[in-house]
Formats: sequence, C-alpha cells, structure tokens
Amino acid sequence: MSLWPLNTVAPCMEYVDNGSCVPPPGPPLWGPLGLTYNGQLITCPKHYRQSTNSVANFFYEPGNDRIIAHIVLNTTYWPSWDVQRYEFNAEDGAWCNREEALARQAWIGIWGAAYTRAATMGSLGKIYACRNSETKIREVSWEYAEPATNGWWVDPYTWNPKSIYGYAVVNRIDNLLAAAANWTLDCWRNIGTTPERFAQLRLPNVLNYLAYESRNYCWVITQDGVILKADYQIPRWEMISTVQNPEVDALKYFITYDTKRKRVVVFRQRPDAADGACQHQLEFYYPMVKAGQLTQPVPVTSLKAGNHIILAAHLIGDAGEGMTPYTVAGEMISPVEGRLVTPFSGTELNGRVCLQYQAPNEACTETLKLGVTVEES
Amino acid sequence: MNEKVFESAKLAQPVATGDYWQHLCYVSTWDAFLAQSVHEWSKVFRDGTKVKFGKPSGSYTPLGRVKGFPAYWNQWTFKVYPAFEINGLPNPNEVLNPNWDISYSLGPNSVSSRFIDDINQVYLHQPTANRIDIYNLGNGQRVGEIAHNAGEYFTSLAWVQPGQVAGLCKTSGKVMVMDYLSSPRVLVTGRIDPFKVAAYDSTFKLFFSIGTDHKTRVYCGELWPNGLSVPVFEPAIVYGLKGNRVRIRLTGQDGEPLSGWWVNWELEDVGSGIIGSLDKYGNLTDADGYASNLYIGPNDGSTGQCKIKARVVL
Repeated sequence: MSLWPLNTVAPCMEYVDNGSCVPPPGPPLWGPLGLTYNGQLITCPKHYRQSTNSVANFFYEPGNDRIIAHIVLNTTYWPSWDVQRYEFNAEDGAWCNREEALARQAWIGIWGAAYTRAATMGSLGKIYACRNSETKIREVSWEYAEPATNGWWVDPYTWNPKSIYGYAVVNRIDNLLAAAANWTLDCWRNIGTTPERFAQLRLPNVLNYLAYESRNYCWVITQDGVILKADYQIPRWEMISTVQNPEVDALKYFITYDTKRKRVVVFRQRPDAADGACQHQLEFYYPMVKAGQLTQPVPVTSLKAGNHIILAAHLIGDAGEGMTPYTVAGEMISPVEGRLVTPFSGTELNGRVCLQYQAPNEACTETLKLGVTVEES
Repeated sequence: MNEKVFESAKLAQPVATGDYWQHLCYVSTWDAFLAQSVHEWSKVFRDGTKVKFGKPSGSYTPLGRVKGFPAYWNQWTFKVYPAFEINGLPNPNEVLNPNWDISYSLGPNSVSSRFIDDINQVYLHQPTANRIDIYNLGNGQRVGEIAHNAGEYFTSLAWVQPGQVAGLCKTSGKVMVMDYLSSPRVLVTGRIDPFKVAAYDSTFKLFFSIGTDHKTRVYCGELWPNGLSVPVFEPAIVYGLKGNRVRIRLTGQDGEPLSGWWVNWELEDVGSGIIGSLDKYGNLTDADGYASNLYIGPNDGSTGQCKIKARVVL
C-alpha cells in the first residue's frame, strides 16, 4: 500500500494584508504608523501583518466535518502575536472561515495554543491533546484547544514507567494509548485501570505529528515527510510512504486522518514567499498505490553469450514502495541480435518485474526499453 | 573475479555532505537493499535508485539474518531484534537471543559483521580476519569455527541459503560462500571490486556493492575469465590425414577453471594459406575449463605454417 495524492490546495490560507510596505530598514516600534511590532513583516517587499510562528494543532473535526489548524502568528499589531483557528472544508480543502480569520475573529485565546500541543481526533470522535503545562493527556475542545469541562484525561507520568508525551492517539473503547515523545511510539493498554506499556515502535525519524485513524491504526509523519501507518494494537508497521514532492525547505509536516472519507490530510508548513505571503498547503492523499518510477532493468544472471538472461526492474512509489498489479512491457531497441522471451510481465508485491532475454551465441550490445501505463484516475 | 553484470550510472549517495554508508543488507521481501549511513536509512535498488526513509540511531547496529532479512543488535541491551518487513525498522518487541546476551566484544560493527540464524540457533562471530566462530544462540557456547583465511574481516555476512552464509571483504574484494551448519567450511571463493558496502542477494544469488564512487555494481556467482591458455596439441606432434586433439583452458583471476563459456575456433593464414581444417568452430568449456577441438591435418601432403586461434565470447 502507498499513498495516492488526490489534490493539493496551495496556498490553503492567507495572512492579513497590510496593503503597503515600508522601505528598509522598516518601521520603528514607535513611528508614524503607531506601535508596530515585528516590523520585518511589512518591510519591503513584505507587506503582510501576520506570519506563522508555529502550528499548535492540526486535526480532523468529525462533528463539523472540517480540518482544523490552530496557528500561532507573529503580528505587527498588538500584542505582537495572535492565535487563530483556521477551518478548512474536509472535502476539498477550501478555507471555510476566511472572512472571520482575516478579520481576526477566529481568535482562540493563548492558553489553548500555548498549553496544548498536537491535538488529534481520537476515539468517540473527540479531540485529545498532550499538554505543555502538565503531563496529562486531555480531551480538549476543537474550537479553543482548551480542556473540555469534566473531560476525559490520563496522566502517563503516574504510570510505570513514568512518561511524558508530546503526541498521543487515544482509544478509549479498547483502553489503549499510543504516544510518542520523539523517536519511539509507546503502546499502552489498560489505560483506564492498570496501565501497561506492552510494546514500542521505533520511528524512522523524529516525529512531526501523529493522527488517529481507528481502533487499530494510527498515522505518523516524520520531520522529512515520511508517512507511516501503524497498527498500535499488535503493534507493527503497516506501510511506509511519503508526501508527494518532499521539499528541503518545508518547515514542518502535520498529518490527520479524515475518518469520513478514509483519507490522509497533510498540512505542509512552508516558509513565507518573498512578499511575505502565506505558502502553507493542504495535501489530500488516498491510501492506495501510486506509481512513482520504474527502475532500470538490471541483469541478474550471467551475461554469457547464448544464455537465457533474466533482467529485474521495480515499479515503485515515491518512498520505494512496491507497486502491484501493473503490467510492464519490454521492447528491444533496434538493432536486435537476441530475442526478448517475455515481452511483458506483471509486477509482484514488491514491485519487481522480471523479463527474460535469449542472448545470441556471439558478443553483442542490446538495449531494452521498459514501459508501464499508470492510470491517473 | 566474479562476472560483473551491471554497473550503475546513477549514484547511490547519502544526502548529507560527508556522510558515508556503513551497512548494507539485502531484504528479500523488498528485493532491494537496506543501506545505513551515519545519517540515513535508505532503500537502494540494483540500478542505483535510492529512497531515503529514515535516520538511524546509534543504538541499533545491523547484522545479517537467516532468510535474507536484517536484524539489529543493541549495544545497551545486548539483544538482537528482528526488522519489520515493511520498512526494515528494528522491532524492539521481539528478541532473537532471549537466553544469551551478546556482549559488546561479540557484537557487530561497521568493519566486522555478524550473522544470526534464529531458526537453527546459531550466531556467527569473527574473532580474527581469518576465522569465523560459531556460537549456540541458546546458551552462548562456541560450537565450531570456519577457517576461511581471507586475511580480512568480512564487512558483510549475509544469508545465502539454508546453512550457508556469504562473506564480503571491503578492501580486497574477496567474497566467499561458507557452510556454517552441516560441515563448516568454505564452499566457494571469488572476488569483486573493492567497495564501500556490499551485500549478498539471496534471491538471484548475486553479490551487490556500492563503491566509493557511489556506483552500484552487481556480480553474479560465476567467475569472469581472466586467462586463456594458448592452444596445445595433445600429443604435441601433428599429423596430416588425422584428427589432432588440441585444447585450451579458460581460467579466472585466481586460476580457477571456468566452465560453460563459448569458445570460437578459427584457422589463420600466416603466409602458407589455410592448411587443414577444424572439427568445430564453436564449443563450450568443460567443468575443468577446457575446450577441445580436432585439427584435421591436410590430406594432400602439403606442409607449412598455419595458426589456430581460439577466442572466448564475453
């Protein structure tokens, strides 16, 4: 299994436009414009009154069927920061509360963003988050990321071994918790009674975000955009893939899972454009095969004259995942001396395809061209 | 020298400047290789296509495992863990040596590899550059050895087939296939180009390496011809009106006989015209590397010089 990119919304949001910029060295803190914080945001060529400081939370909110991002902003206006809730249509990524957010009316308060981190939807369709201000994992409100009144919570710091987590998926139905600090996903059971850490999964890289899919599965995205699906009940890895076109300059990746449409949504935090415009993007992926490339056919048997020679190639995705079932066609390029015994063959589970060539009884140079047709929809 | 069947144009190079490969394992379910450098885990295909998927930590050192999977030895717990088939990452929830801690001195490193066969409860350790010790994985007892006399540590020890392991030397390029189960000994020797990291492809029985130039190279188990003897008549005196036996021998770099190679024979005029004829103009070398032919001497009493030329089709 791999990930099929469905669509990308880029940019998915905007900052409040200042309408003009101030030539370098930019506006002073006190000046003709009044009190101006973060003057670099409106120093030419930049002209926006906001910029992203950090993405506090990113999750699918099933009650409203929306993708939610709580973003801490650096601003030119008082008090130099802001925290807004950005709501996106889960169907197509359209920015639902554009007017409200640009009017700075989607303010969620500082406590939700400052004290809550990595909120994600968990079981029972509720939102759960780790906390910066305490060691508890709590049910939080989707609007403000603040602890729900009389909401559910656990404190892994009171468990054995004592643990503090930055990311967690909560499965209250089966009394399970999968949580990570950075490199290791800890799997706990009996979290409602006597918590026991029954297994661990070592992540391939530093974790960027964790998302709940179901009572069995969760999704992981690492700092370099590698996406993994894990069964946290067994536990074991189920697949490895990657975001499409991972960029070196992408700042961070956030992941959530749309349980209604059964698909992955990634928020790619990107640096602002030269004029300060927001360049963050939403990417929608469906968990199914998407061929990325066909490797060069490599002979895997002796190349002696007269031999029946086997050549192996792989049809793989962006993360090297094998692609099947596809039919790969081979074609000998003129001048042809030998004979391609298998002009086409099907890929195996690991994406491998083997073709056989009958070499003549004399030295020669041959060229084999491989091709595959991949449906785009 | 083993026959090199492929050399890539693509470069399988770690991303970070100054980074270098330390380990390479064939993963049979991928039909590709897991390469580990200081800063990355990557999947490498035979043609040099490389996909980075992670970043290793110092705690886990790869080693070869039965059935063509990697395993990881942890220097803090002294345990060996299997790898997940999907992504090759260590699975810390399963231990392959529950009853015996493999200490620091017996664990693998990037210079000298180790091998674990948890099916037959065997662990292979390299105490010297000329010997492999065989340990019982259940109780840590040394139960045998393989004296291979390679003169260099195997940077990779990789599974070949049940009871057999391949060793690959980085500097000399020596490769060996050894029996470690029924009758520990060296079964096959060969040589490939010196490399940075290398592994054994147990599916197609190949040696695969990434060189210091970052190119991937694929070598099959068969040796590549290095020397072809001059044709020798047996007996030495050649007669007319008779089939005179003549043969050549094809050998590898270390003098090993090479069988199954096509040899083309021809008579060459050296001034007296073509005298006589050959029985065959193409045949295969036998198990000892010999290809034989018959030179039919002239039937008209003519004398003179004529050259027999034998060529191997590469």
